[in-house]
Amino acid sequence: MNVEISALTRRFGTVQAVAGVDLQAGPGVFGLLGPNGAGKTSLLRMMATALPPSSGTLRLLGRDPGSHRPRCEIRRRLGYLPQHPGYLPGFTVTEYVEYFALLKEVPSARIGAAVATAVERVGLGDRRKARLRTLSGGMLRRAGIAQAIVNQPDLLLLDEPTAGLDPQQRVSFRALLRELGEHATVVVSTHLVEDVATACAEVALMDRGRIAFQGTPAGLAARGDERDVGDTPIERGYSAVLSEARS
Amino acid sequence: MSARLLVLHALGRRAHVALLVIAGCALGLRLALLGHWDAYGALQLPLIFETAAAVAVAAATASPFGEPERVAGRWLPHLRVAVTLTLTAAAVGLLATAGLGGHLADGTAGVLRNVTGITGIGLLCAAALGGGLSWTGPTGFLVAALYALYARWHPPGLTTPLLWPARPPHDLGGALCAGLVFAGGLTAATLRGARDRPTDPDAA
Repeated sequence: MNVEISALTRRFGTVQAVAGVDLQAGPGVFGLLGPNGAGKTSLLRMMATALPPSSGTLRLLGRDPGSHRPRCEIRRRLGYLPQHPGYLPGFTVTEYVEYFALLKEVPSARIGAAVATAVERVGLGDRRKARLRTLSGGMLRRAGIAQAIVNQPDLLLLDEPTAGLDPQQRVSFRALLRELGEHATVVVSTHLVEDVATACAEVALMDRGRIAFQGTPAGLAARGDERDVGDTPIERGYSAVLSEARS
Repeated sequence: MSARLLVLHALGRRAHVALLVIAGCALGLRLALLGHWDAYGALQLPLIFETAAAVAVAAATASPFGEPERVAGRWLPHLRVAVTLTLTAAAVGLLATAGLGGHLADGTAGVLRNVTGITGIGLLCAAALGGGLSWTGPTGFLVAALYALYARWHPPGLTTPLLWPARPPHDLGGALCAGLVFAGGLTAATLRGARDRPTDPDAA
Protein backbone atom coordinates (compact mmCIF):
# COMPACT_ATOMS: atom_id res chain seq x y z
CA MET A 1 0.00 0.00 0.00
CA ASN A 2 1.37 3.43 -0.93
CA VAL A 3 -1.02 5.28 1.36
CA GLU A 4 -1.94 3.99 4.83
CA ILE A 5 -3.98 6.31 7.00
CA SER A 6 -5.43 5.50 10.39
CA ALA A 7 -7.56 7.72 12.67
CA LEU A 8 -6.05 10.83 11.07
CA THR A 9 -7.23 14.21 12.33
CA ARG A 10 -6.39 17.83 11.61
CA ARG A 11 -7.65 20.76 13.61
CA PHE A 12 -7.36 24.48 12.80
CA GLY A 13 -8.12 26.27 16.05
CA THR A 14 -11.66 25.23 16.91
CA VAL A 15 -12.40 23.83 13.44
CA GLN A 16 -11.98 20.09 12.96
CA ALA A 17 -11.10 19.88 9.24
CA VAL A 18 -10.32 16.14 9.25
CA ALA A 19 -12.02 14.12 11.96
CA GLY A 20 -10.64 10.58 12.12
CA VAL A 21 -10.04 9.27 8.61
CA ASP A 22 -9.00 5.69 7.84
CA LEU A 23 -7.85 5.08 4.27
CA GLN A 24 -5.66 2.72 2.30
CA ALA A 25 -4.68 3.07 -1.34
CA GLY A 26 -2.41 1.10 -3.63
CA PRO A 27 -1.59 1.70 -7.31
CA GLY A 28 -4.52 3.05 -9.31
CA VAL A 29 -6.59 6.19 -9.48
CA PHE A 30 -8.35 7.04 -6.24
CA GLY A 31 -11.03 9.73 -6.24
CA LEU A 32 -11.67 11.93 -3.24
CA LEU A 33 -15.13 13.42 -3.54
CA GLY A 34 -17.06 15.77 -1.31
CA PRO A 35 -18.74 19.14 -1.02
CA ASN A 36 -16.81 22.33 -0.29
CA GLY A 37 -15.37 22.28 3.23
CA ALA A 38 -15.55 18.49 3.53
CA GLY A 39 -11.84 18.24 4.41
CA LYS A 40 -10.51 16.97 1.06
CA THR A 41 -7.83 19.62 0.69
CA SER A 42 -6.61 19.28 4.28
CA LEU A 43 -6.38 15.50 3.86
CA LEU A 44 -4.51 15.91 0.57
CA ARG A 45 -2.10 18.46 2.11
CA MET A 46 -1.30 16.01 4.89
CA MET A 47 -0.68 13.31 2.30
CA ALA A 48 1.60 15.76 0.47
CA THR A 49 3.61 16.30 3.70
CA ALA A 50 2.71 19.99 3.51
CA LEU A 51 0.61 19.89 6.67
CA PRO A 52 1.36 17.86 9.82
CA PRO A 53 -1.58 15.89 11.25
CA SER A 54 -2.97 16.81 14.67
CA SER A 55 -3.22 13.12 15.54
CA GLY A 56 -3.43 9.68 13.95
CA THR A 57 -1.10 7.61 11.80
CA LEU A 58 0.05 8.40 8.29
CA ARG A 59 2.39 6.23 6.23
CA LEU A 60 3.28 7.13 2.65
CA LEU A 61 5.23 4.84 0.33
CA GLY A 62 5.92 2.62 3.36
CA ARG A 63 7.54 5.48 5.30
CA ASP A 64 6.67 7.76 8.19
CA PRO A 65 6.59 11.40 6.97
CA GLY A 66 6.94 12.60 10.57
CA SER A 67 10.69 11.92 10.50
CA HIS A 68 13.10 14.05 8.46
CA ARG A 69 14.93 11.46 6.36
CA PRO A 70 11.86 9.39 5.37
CA ARG A 71 10.03 12.64 4.59
CA CYS A 72 12.81 13.67 2.17
CA GLU A 73 12.61 10.25 0.48
CA ILE A 74 8.81 10.50 0.18
CA ARG A 75 9.05 14.00 -1.28
CA ARG A 76 11.52 12.86 -3.94
CA ARG A 77 8.94 10.30 -5.15
CA LEU A 78 5.90 12.56 -4.77
CA GLY A 79 3.98 14.66 -7.27
CA TYR A 80 1.66 17.34 -5.93
CA LEU A 81 -0.63 19.86 -7.54
CA PRO A 82 -2.51 22.02 -5.02
CA GLN A 83 -5.73 23.84 -5.75
CA HIS A 84 -3.90 27.17 -6.16
CA PRO A 85 -0.32 26.52 -7.24
CA GLY A 86 2.00 29.47 -7.75
CA TYR A 87 3.81 30.39 -10.95
CA LEU A 88 6.60 32.77 -11.88
CA PRO A 89 5.24 34.70 -14.89
CA GLY A 90 8.71 35.17 -16.40
CA PHE A 91 9.57 31.46 -16.51
CA THR A 92 8.99 29.46 -19.68
CA VAL A 93 7.02 26.22 -19.43
CA THR A 94 10.28 24.27 -19.80
CA GLU A 95 12.10 26.29 -17.11
CA TYR A 96 9.18 25.84 -14.72
CA VAL A 97 9.04 22.07 -15.15
CA GLU A 98 12.85 21.77 -15.21
CA TYR A 99 13.09 23.59 -11.86
CA PHE A 100 10.84 20.99 -10.24
CA ALA A 101 12.68 18.12 -11.95
CA LEU A 102 15.96 19.40 -10.45
CA LEU A 103 14.37 19.91 -7.02
CA LYS A 104 13.05 16.34 -7.10
CA GLU A 105 16.52 15.04 -7.99
CA VAL A 106 15.73 13.59 -11.40
CA PRO A 107 19.18 12.38 -12.60
CA SER A 108 20.89 15.12 -14.62
CA ALA A 109 21.32 12.87 -17.67
CA ARG A 110 17.54 12.35 -17.80
CA ILE A 111 16.38 15.91 -17.04
CA GLY A 112 15.92 17.03 -20.65
CA ALA A 113 13.95 13.94 -21.66
CA ALA A 114 11.89 13.93 -18.46
CA VAL A 115 10.89 17.58 -18.91
CA ALA A 116 10.06 17.10 -22.59
CA THR A 117 7.97 13.99 -21.84
CA ALA A 118 6.02 15.69 -19.03
CA VAL A 119 5.31 18.75 -21.15
CA GLU A 120 4.19 16.58 -24.10
CA ARG A 121 1.95 14.45 -21.89
CA VAL A 122 -0.08 17.47 -20.82
CA GLY A 123 -0.32 18.73 -24.40
CA LEU A 124 1.94 21.76 -24.06
CA GLY A 125 4.70 20.56 -26.40
CA ASP A 126 4.09 23.38 -28.86
CA ARG A 127 4.11 25.97 -26.05
CA ARG A 128 7.18 24.71 -24.21
CA LYS A 129 9.12 27.94 -24.84
CA ALA A 130 6.21 30.22 -24.00
CA ARG A 131 6.41 32.40 -20.89
CA LEU A 132 3.90 31.41 -18.23
CA ARG A 133 2.45 34.94 -18.30
CA THR A 134 1.26 34.31 -21.85
CA LEU A 135 -0.67 31.10 -21.04
CA SER A 136 -4.40 30.78 -20.38
CA GLY A 137 -5.74 29.47 -17.07
CA GLY A 138 -6.22 25.96 -18.48
CA MET A 139 -2.70 25.91 -19.91
CA LEU A 140 -1.26 27.04 -16.57
CA ARG A 141 -3.16 24.21 -14.92
CA ARG A 142 -1.58 21.76 -17.39
CA ALA A 143 1.89 23.23 -16.70
CA GLY A 144 1.17 22.58 -13.02
CA ILE A 145 0.28 18.96 -13.81
CA ALA A 146 3.54 18.66 -15.80
CA GLN A 147 5.64 19.70 -12.80
CA ALA A 148 3.77 17.17 -10.68
CA ILE A 149 4.49 14.24 -13.01
CA VAL A 150 8.01 15.16 -14.20
CA ASN A 151 9.68 12.79 -11.70
CA GLN A 152 7.36 9.88 -12.60
CA PRO A 153 6.04 9.89 -9.03
CA ASP A 154 4.95 6.77 -7.14
CA LEU A 155 2.39 8.91 -5.34
CA LEU A 156 0.60 11.66 -7.25
CA LEU A 157 -1.76 14.03 -5.43
CA LEU A 158 -3.97 16.34 -7.47
CA ASP A 159 -6.36 18.88 -5.95
CA GLU A 160 -9.12 19.91 -8.38
CA PRO A 161 -6.87 19.16 -11.39
CA THR A 162 -9.58 19.68 -14.01
CA ALA A 163 -10.58 23.16 -12.81
CA GLY A 164 -10.20 25.52 -15.77
CA LEU A 165 -9.80 22.77 -18.38
CA ASP A 166 -12.17 22.72 -21.36
CA PRO A 167 -14.20 19.53 -22.06
CA GLN A 168 -11.72 18.18 -24.62
CA GLN A 169 -8.78 18.76 -22.27
CA ARG A 170 -10.66 17.07 -19.46
CA VAL A 171 -11.23 13.97 -21.56
CA SER A 172 -7.50 13.78 -22.43
CA PHE A 173 -6.60 14.43 -18.82
CA ARG A 174 -8.75 11.53 -17.62
CA ALA A 175 -6.93 9.27 -20.09
CA LEU A 176 -3.61 10.54 -18.69
CA LEU A 177 -4.81 9.80 -15.15
CA ARG A 178 -5.68 6.21 -16.08
CA GLU A 179 -2.26 5.78 -17.70
CA LEU A 180 -0.45 7.20 -14.65
CA GLY A 181 -2.53 4.99 -12.36
CA GLU A 182 -1.16 1.82 -13.97
CA HIS A 183 2.06 2.22 -11.97
CA ALA A 184 1.46 4.90 -9.34
CA THR A 185 -1.10 5.75 -6.70
CA VAL A 186 -2.98 8.77 -8.01
CA VAL A 187 -5.25 10.56 -5.54
CA VAL A 188 -7.57 13.08 -7.18
CA SER A 189 -9.58 15.46 -5.03
CA THR A 190 -12.55 16.91 -6.86
CA HIS A 191 -16.18 17.84 -6.53
CA LEU A 192 -16.86 16.87 -10.15
CA VAL A 193 -18.40 13.42 -9.93
CA GLU A 194 -18.10 12.78 -13.68
CA ASP A 195 -14.29 12.93 -13.38
CA VAL A 196 -14.44 10.24 -10.72
CA ALA A 197 -16.94 8.11 -12.63
CA THR A 198 -14.74 7.90 -15.72
CA ALA A 199 -11.20 7.92 -14.35
CA CYS A 200 -11.17 6.34 -10.88
CA ALA A 201 -11.13 2.69 -9.86
CA GLU A 202 -11.96 3.55 -6.26
CA VAL A 203 -13.62 6.49 -4.62
CA ALA A 204 -14.09 7.94 -1.13
CA LEU A 205 -16.75 10.50 -0.34
CA MET A 206 -15.89 12.91 2.47
CA ASP A 207 -18.29 15.00 4.49
CA ARG A 208 -17.52 17.14 7.54
CA GLY A 209 -14.04 15.70 7.86
CA ARG A 210 -15.10 12.05 7.77
CA ILE A 211 -15.31 9.37 5.09
CA ALA A 212 -19.00 8.80 4.43
CA PHE A 213 -18.47 6.20 1.66
CA GLN A 214 -15.58 4.20 0.26
CA GLY A 215 -15.86 1.81 -2.66
CA THR A 216 -16.08 1.74 -6.45
CA PRO A 217 -17.82 4.41 -8.56
CA ALA A 218 -20.38 1.72 -9.49
CA GLY A 219 -20.95 1.05 -5.79
CA LEU A 220 -21.52 4.76 -5.18
CA ALA A 221 -23.95 4.92 -8.11
CA ALA A 222 -25.87 1.95 -6.70
CA ARG A 223 -26.54 3.84 -3.45
CA GLY A 224 -28.86 6.27 -5.24
CA ASP A 225 -32.31 5.91 -6.73
CA GLU A 226 -34.69 8.02 -8.83
CA ARG A 227 -35.78 10.09 -5.81
CA ASP A 228 -32.29 11.43 -5.17
CA VAL A 229 -30.94 14.66 -6.63
CA GLY A 230 -28.75 14.31 -9.73
CA ASP A 231 -28.72 13.81 -13.49
CA THR A 232 -26.57 10.69 -13.55
CA PRO A 233 -26.58 7.54 -11.37
CA ILE A 234 -23.32 8.51 -9.64
CA GLU A 235 -24.63 11.99 -8.88
CA ARG A 236 -27.75 10.43 -7.35
CA GLY A 237 -25.54 8.05 -5.34
CA TYR A 238 -23.46 11.03 -4.17
CA SER A 239 -26.60 12.86 -3.03
CA ALA A 240 -27.99 9.77 -1.31
CA VAL A 241 -24.79 9.11 0.68
CA LEU A 242 -24.53 12.77 1.74
CA SER A 243 -28.19 12.87 2.84
CA GLU A 244 -27.71 9.65 4.79
CA ALA A 245 -24.52 10.95 6.46
CA ARG A 246 -26.26 14.14 7.53
CA SER A 247 -29.51 12.62 8.73
CA MET B 1 22.86 20.32 -6.12
CA SER B 2 23.51 21.57 -9.64
CA ALA B 3 24.44 25.10 -10.72
CA ARG B 4 21.37 25.12 -12.97
CA LEU B 5 19.10 24.48 -9.97
CA LEU B 6 20.74 27.35 -8.09
CA VAL B 7 20.30 29.68 -11.08
CA LEU B 8 16.62 28.76 -11.53
CA HIS B 9 15.99 29.15 -7.81
CA ALA B 10 17.68 32.56 -7.77
CA LEU B 11 15.64 33.66 -10.80
CA GLY B 12 12.50 32.34 -9.10
CA ARG B 13 13.28 34.48 -6.06
CA ARG B 14 13.93 37.49 -8.35
CA ALA B 15 17.45 37.75 -6.93
CA HIS B 16 18.50 39.68 -10.05
CA VAL B 17 15.92 42.35 -9.23
CA ALA B 18 17.15 42.45 -5.62
CA LEU B 19 20.72 42.90 -6.89
CA LEU B 20 19.63 45.82 -9.06
CA VAL B 21 17.89 47.45 -6.09
CA ILE B 22 21.00 46.94 -3.93
CA ALA B 23 23.20 48.45 -6.68
CA GLY B 24 20.78 51.39 -6.83
CA CYS B 25 21.11 51.83 -3.06
CA ALA B 26 24.91 51.80 -3.35
CA LEU B 27 24.76 54.40 -6.11
CA GLY B 28 22.37 56.51 -4.07
CA LEU B 29 24.67 56.33 -1.07
CA ARG B 30 27.67 57.33 -3.19
CA LEU B 31 25.81 60.32 -4.60
CA ALA B 32 24.58 61.30 -1.13
CA LEU B 33 28.13 61.22 0.23
CA LEU B 34 29.13 63.81 -2.37
CA GLY B 35 26.96 66.36 -0.60
CA HIS B 36 27.78 68.32 2.56
CA TRP B 37 25.59 67.19 5.41
CA ASP B 38 25.26 68.22 9.02
CA ALA B 39 25.87 65.62 11.74
CA TYR B 40 22.29 64.32 11.60
CA GLY B 41 22.29 63.83 7.85
CA ALA B 42 25.73 62.23 7.80
CA LEU B 43 24.58 59.58 10.27
CA GLN B 44 20.99 59.11 9.16
CA LEU B 45 21.28 59.03 5.35
CA PRO B 46 23.50 55.93 5.14
CA LEU B 47 21.07 54.09 7.42
CA ILE B 48 18.21 54.75 5.00
CA PHE B 49 20.17 53.19 2.10
CA GLU B 50 21.28 50.29 4.31
CA THR B 51 17.69 49.61 5.30
CA ALA B 52 16.49 49.72 1.68
CA ALA B 53 19.18 47.19 0.68
CA ALA B 54 18.26 44.94 3.64
CA VAL B 55 14.60 45.02 2.61
CA ALA B 56 15.59 43.96 -0.93
CA VAL B 57 17.41 40.92 0.52
CA ALA B 58 14.48 39.96 2.75
CA ALA B 59 11.87 40.42 0.01
CA ALA B 60 13.81 37.99 -2.18
CA THR B 61 12.86 35.14 0.16
CA ALA B 62 9.27 35.19 -1.16
CA SER B 63 8.44 32.14 -3.23
CA PRO B 64 6.06 32.35 -6.18
CA PHE B 65 5.71 28.54 -6.29
CA GLY B 66 3.95 27.81 -2.99
CA GLU B 67 3.44 24.32 -1.61
CA PRO B 68 4.63 22.27 -4.59
CA GLU B 69 8.11 23.74 -4.06
CA ARG B 70 8.00 23.20 -0.30
CA VAL B 71 7.36 19.48 -0.73
CA ALA B 72 9.76 18.90 -3.65
CA GLY B 73 12.80 17.21 -2.16
CA ARG B 74 15.58 18.20 0.19
CA TRP B 75 17.44 21.01 -1.56
CA LEU B 76 15.20 23.94 -0.73
CA PRO B 77 16.83 24.96 2.61
CA HIS B 78 20.29 24.86 0.98
CA LEU B 79 19.06 27.03 -1.88
CA ARG B 80 17.42 29.51 0.46
CA VAL B 81 20.55 29.98 2.56
CA ALA B 82 22.77 30.29 -0.53
CA VAL B 83 20.66 33.04 -2.11
CA THR B 84 20.16 34.94 1.16
CA LEU B 85 23.86 34.89 2.10
CA THR B 86 24.91 35.89 -1.41
CA LEU B 87 22.53 38.85 -1.48
CA THR B 88 23.52 39.94 2.04
CA ALA B 89 27.20 39.78 1.10
CA ALA B 90 26.46 41.75 -2.08
CA ALA B 91 24.59 44.40 -0.07
CA VAL B 92 27.42 44.80 2.47
CA GLY B 93 30.08 44.75 -0.25
CA LEU B 94 28.41 47.24 -2.58
CA LEU B 95 27.43 49.70 0.18
CA ALA B 96 30.88 49.51 1.78
CA THR B 97 32.48 50.07 -1.62
CA ALA B 98 30.19 53.05 -2.21
CA GLY B 99 31.46 54.55 1.03
CA LEU B 100 35.17 54.19 0.18
CA GLY B 101 36.87 57.57 -0.06
CA GLY B 102 33.68 59.31 1.09
CA HIS B 103 32.71 60.52 4.54
CA LEU B 104 30.74 57.45 5.55
CA ALA B 105 30.01 58.18 9.22
CA ASP B 106 30.43 54.70 10.75
CA GLY B 107 32.71 53.23 8.06
CA THR B 108 32.68 49.65 6.73
CA ALA B 109 32.16 48.16 10.20
CA GLY B 110 28.99 50.20 10.58
CA VAL B 111 27.69 49.07 7.17
CA LEU B 112 28.39 45.41 8.02
CA ARG B 113 26.64 45.64 11.38
CA ASN B 114 23.65 47.67 10.20
CA VAL B 115 22.95 45.75 6.97
CA THR B 116 23.21 42.28 8.54
CA GLY B 117 21.14 43.22 11.57
CA ILE B 118 18.37 44.92 9.62
CA THR B 119 18.38 42.08 7.09
CA GLY B 120 17.84 39.73 10.02
CA ILE B 121 14.76 41.74 11.06
CA GLY B 122 13.47 41.57 7.47
CA LEU B 123 14.02 37.81 7.29
CA LEU B 124 12.13 37.28 10.54
CA CYS B 125 9.26 39.39 9.19
CA ALA B 126 9.27 37.40 5.93
CA ALA B 127 9.04 34.12 7.86
CA ALA B 128 6.24 35.41 10.08
CA LEU B 129 4.25 37.63 7.71
CA GLY B 130 5.32 36.73 4.16
CA GLY B 131 7.82 38.19 1.72
CA GLY B 132 5.44 40.95 0.70
CA LEU B 133 5.39 42.30 4.26
CA SER B 134 9.08 41.81 5.00
CA TRP B 135 9.60 45.60 4.81
CA THR B 136 7.47 46.30 7.89
CA GLY B 137 10.00 45.32 10.56
CA PRO B 138 13.00 47.06 8.94
CA THR B 139 10.96 50.22 8.37
CA GLY B 140 9.78 50.32 11.97
CA PHE B 141 13.33 49.71 13.14
CA LEU B 142 14.60 52.47 10.84
CA VAL B 143 12.25 54.99 12.43
CA ALA B 144 13.38 53.99 15.94
CA ALA B 145 17.07 54.02 14.92
CA LEU B 146 16.76 57.43 13.25
CA TYR B 147 15.28 58.77 16.46
CA ALA B 148 18.07 57.14 18.48
CA LEU B 149 20.67 58.82 16.23
CA TYR B 150 18.89 62.16 16.68
CA ALA B 151 18.84 61.61 20.44
CA ARG B 152 22.63 61.45 20.51
CA TRP B 153 22.54 65.26 20.62
CA HIS B 154 19.26 65.63 22.44
CA PRO B 155 19.31 63.94 25.84
CA PRO B 156 18.09 61.67 27.20
CA GLY B 157 19.86 59.55 24.58
CA LEU B 158 18.83 56.02 23.66
CA THR B 159 21.87 53.89 24.34
CA THR B 160 20.54 50.33 24.17
CA PRO B 161 22.55 47.90 21.98
CA LEU B 162 19.18 46.78 20.56
CA LEU B 163 19.26 50.03 18.58
CA TRP B 164 22.70 49.24 17.21
CA PRO B 165 22.87 51.96 14.50
CA ALA B 166 23.05 54.55 17.29
CA ARG B 167 26.05 52.83 18.89
CA PRO B 168 29.66 53.43 17.82
CA PRO B 169 30.68 51.08 14.96
CA HIS B 170 33.00 48.95 17.12
CA ASP B 171 30.60 48.62 20.05
CA LEU B 172 30.51 44.96 21.07
CA GLY B 173 26.96 44.97 22.43
CA GLY B 174 25.51 46.48 19.26
CA ALA B 175 27.46 44.09 17.05
CA LEU B 176 26.30 41.09 19.11
CA CYS B 177 22.66 42.17 18.90
CA ALA B 178 22.86 42.70 15.14
CA GLY B 179 24.66 39.36 14.68
CA LEU B 180 22.14 37.45 16.78
CA VAL B 181 19.18 38.97 14.93
CA PHE B 182 20.78 38.09 11.59
CA ALA B 183 21.48 34.53 12.76
CA GLY B 184 17.86 34.16 13.87
CA GLY B 185 16.52 35.58 10.62
CA LEU B 186 18.79 33.43 8.51
CA THR B 187 17.75 30.30 10.43
CA ALA B 188 14.06 31.12 9.98
CA ALA B 189 14.50 31.94 6.28
CA THR B 190 16.46 28.72 5.72
CA LEU B 191 14.26 26.27 7.56
CA ARG B 192 10.86 27.82 7.00
CA GLY B 193 11.22 30.29 4.16
CA ALA B 194 8.88 33.20 3.70
CA ARG B 195 5.30 32.46 4.62
CA ASP B 196 3.24 31.93 1.48
CA ARG B 197 0.22 33.87 2.68
CA PRO B 198 -0.44 35.75 5.89
CA THR B 199 -3.32 33.33 6.60
CA ASP B 200 -1.29 30.18 5.96
CA PRO B 201 -1.17 28.53 9.40
CA ASP B 202 1.29 25.78 8.70
CA ALA B 203 3.83 26.64 6.05
CA ALA B 204 6.70 24.30 6.91
